[in-house]
Amino acid sequence: MRALNALLAALVVLAPCALSGSAVAQVSGPDPLGQPSSAEWLTYSRTYDGQRHSPLTQIKPSNVGTLQARWIYQMADQRNLQATPIVAGGVMYVSAFNRIDALDARSGNLIWKYQRTPISTGAQRGTGIWNNKLFVTTDDKHLVALDARTGGVLWDVAVADGRTLAGQAPLVAKGVLIVSGNRPNGFIQGYDPTTGRHLWTWSAVPEESDPAYKTWGGQTPEGAPIWVSGTYDPDLNLIYYGTGQPEPQWAGESRPGDNLYASSVVALNPQTGQLKWHFQFTPHDVHDWDALEMPVLIDAAWKGKDRKLLVQANRNGFYYILDRTNGEFLQATKFVSRVDWLLSMDAKGRPTADPAKAPSVEGTYVCPSTAGATNWPSPTYDPALKMFFVVAQEGCGINLRDSAKPFAGTGYMESPKDREDWQLYTRAIDAFTGKILWDYKQVRSPHYGPGLMSTASGVLFSPEEYGRFTALESKTGKVLWNFNTGAMLTASPISYSIDGQQFVAISSGSNVIAFALPEGAAQ
Amino acid sequence: MNRRLAFPLVGLAVAALAGGLAVRAPSFAQPAPAAAPAVKNPFTGAAAIEQGRTLYNATCTACHGANGDAGEMGPGLATPGRSYARRTDADVFAAVKNGISGTPMPAHAGRLSDEQIWKISSYVISLRGTAIDAPSPGDAVAGEAIFFGKGQCSTCHLVRGKGSVVGPDLTNLAAVRKTNSIVNALTKPGYRTYGAGGAIPSRLEPLTTYPVVAVTFADGRKVRGVLRNHDSYSLQMIGLDQQFYLLDRRKLKAVVYEDQSLMPADYDKRLSPEEFANLLAYLTRLTAR
Repeated sequence: MRALNALLAALVVLAPCALSGSAVAQVSGPDPLGQPSSAEWLTYSRTYDGQRHSPLTQIKPSNVGTLQARWIYQMADQRNLQATPIVAGGVMYVSAFNRIDALDARSGNLIWKYQRTPISTGAQRGTGIWNNKLFVTTDDKHLVALDARTGGVLWDVAVADGRTLAGQAPLVAKGVLIVSGNRPNGFIQGYDPTTGRHLWTWSAVPEESDPAYKTWGGQTPEGAPIWVSGTYDPDLNLIYYGTGQPEPQWAGESRPGDNLYASSVVALNPQTGQLKWHFQFTPHDVHDWDALEMPVLIDAAWKGKDRKLLVQANRNGFYYILDRTNGEFLQATKFVSRVDWLLSMDAKGRPTADPAKAPSVEGTYVCPSTAGATNWPSPTYDPALKMFFVVAQEGCGINLRDSAKPFAGTGYMESPKDREDWQLYTRAIDAFTGKILWDYKQVRSPHYGPGLMSTASGVLFSPEEYGRFTALESKTGKVLWNFNTGAMLTASPISYSIDGQQFVAISSGSNVIAFALPEGAAQ
Repeated sequence: MNRRLAFPLVGLAVAALAGGLAVRAPSFAQPAPAAAPAVKNPFTGAAAIEQGRTLYNATCTACHGANGDAGEMGPGLATPGRSYARRTDADVFAAVKNGISGTPMPAHAGRLSDEQIWKISSYVISLRGTAIDAPSPGDAVAGEAIFFGKGQCSTCHLVRGKGSVVGPDLTNLAAVRKTNSIVNALTKPGYRTYGAGGAIPSRLEPLTTYPVVAVTFADGRKVRGVLRNHDSYSLQMIGLDQQFYLLDRRKLKAVVYEDQSLMPADYDKRLSPEEFANLLAYLTRLTAR
């Protein structure tokens, strides 16, 4: 028996060597998430810095016009997937709450499927992989690790403190599994990815002992949900996460003060959960402007000095540049045409909100709308062009309250004015001046939409909410290719390569579609 | 059949939110599903509905939209043309109290009392009535004559295959629109309602509005008509000549979206009060069945 075990162990070790390019992922040694292979897409934004910029160059402006759909995988029982698939060792993992499907990333054929009951179609945005372990967020307060080779459960733990995980993709930073959620209030937690042991919880609403508690005017802090993944700087050993709006979201008089740490970006130590710094984009937010937009990390010269920057196109209409070592505000520029909610912004990036723009019983017209100048769909950064690409939403809205009383019921809607329908654009911004360089109108796509991906060859993949998957020239915004996927696009695209063939994949409705250049085409 | 009929209307939600949606179908015509539990809502009537509205707006609108529209996370609960799995007060009560498994809809047991949940159920169901549940009084036969005659409605609209295909087909109008929505369409310029999509449409839907569009072809030829759909690469319209134009955007010289709807909004002036009432009597009885 012992001999048989030894033989099996040897086979397991040898098997990857015996196969060609699509060897089973064997992740060990230095953190592959820090130095990912160009062929793989190992985490939500591909790299820790959130740039979503693929180094692959086989698909380029001169040949992207011939891109073909190579396979379609239907994730049965699902609706509009918001998940960014990940690809490791030639295997694509597509997630939903309670579920992961593992596919051959070359053929789209199913390898294994994990479905924990019940089937859930809630908005879920991805999974994470680390040392052959995949992490599943459930909608019933559990966190599960699977063996990436079989889909078998390695551990299944109840989420600490009875909290509920949001659909964000788990992030592994410094060997710690990071997850987050909204209920009962915004939080981030660290777990040991090997055992599922809970390590720490950071709450986005402060305890009474925290000085930030005083920013709620005596009201028990509520809200600040955290439902999108963050980014990580291994050198500074800090994770960066956006936080959501304070509650009640559109009625602010019962929570006088800034309402920390809502509508902010926070920098935490991934091993301890300790808050290093925070920057609040929208103090005392009454517009539901969650700051869940991706905090993108860029190292660049800033006014003649090399700096570690964090940039974010925020739902409140400004594109921010911060110093990510300490949260220092460096610059904010408007990236949509109409921003009327504030009277001024000081040198530290603190806005003075216009009280006339607070939600009212009769309805207050405000720009941007609650849907935001952008939302959770990922931006992308092209370091060669120094261009930041964002899904920008032009349009104003009306914020309403049911009554003038505290805790009034509230709501929001699109501006009813003619010609003010919400409209999405793929927008190129000079990453350092904030200047808008070009615009691509996504006809028929009003809000949110899918995220973007740039590639080193100068192709920007720009899926549109209304089902069109479009490729633009990064530099100019010129249309190079498009494909009608036939369903809503609500996720961000990825790129990977198998045996030298570059693929681009995206979720569309309940399908995942992978594209590549024609077989045998000059590459 | 496609029941996603809509007018080029703006502001049902605004009007409704500003004034409070006062419409209530006196009886909800759909029979209860056979499997529905025989639990009767103890809190019905105008006062319960009004209290339900307040509770709904304080509890449900973080996800669902106001007045039955779709919201940021939740679907519309009273969207014209949409059919619902939960059609009785008891169905809605169960969903609110226990949540809906496999969806983000949470249970509210413990957060809301049964009385409060019944009132919310009354309110949600009250939002779903349409014109056919309480047709407007008047002479529908005389109204039909106005539709095809003095009112000139049939120069744009179709009823059971008769009329024009440029505007919305009104054959099933009373089953998908409320009476006040029909009145607003006849009397308020640019009035439109929102479709089933709401803040986050869940699938590719046809347009719910009928904007006027004029295109110019490469050879200088022009066509004006009503937009039926478009995206970044194509455009589908019905010309005023009642023909489909299915176009490649990149081959067009110009596309101009016009501000003005083709729908006149002065029927309360161009018709006498009696004629208007008769037209409304006709329109509020139009169903496909």
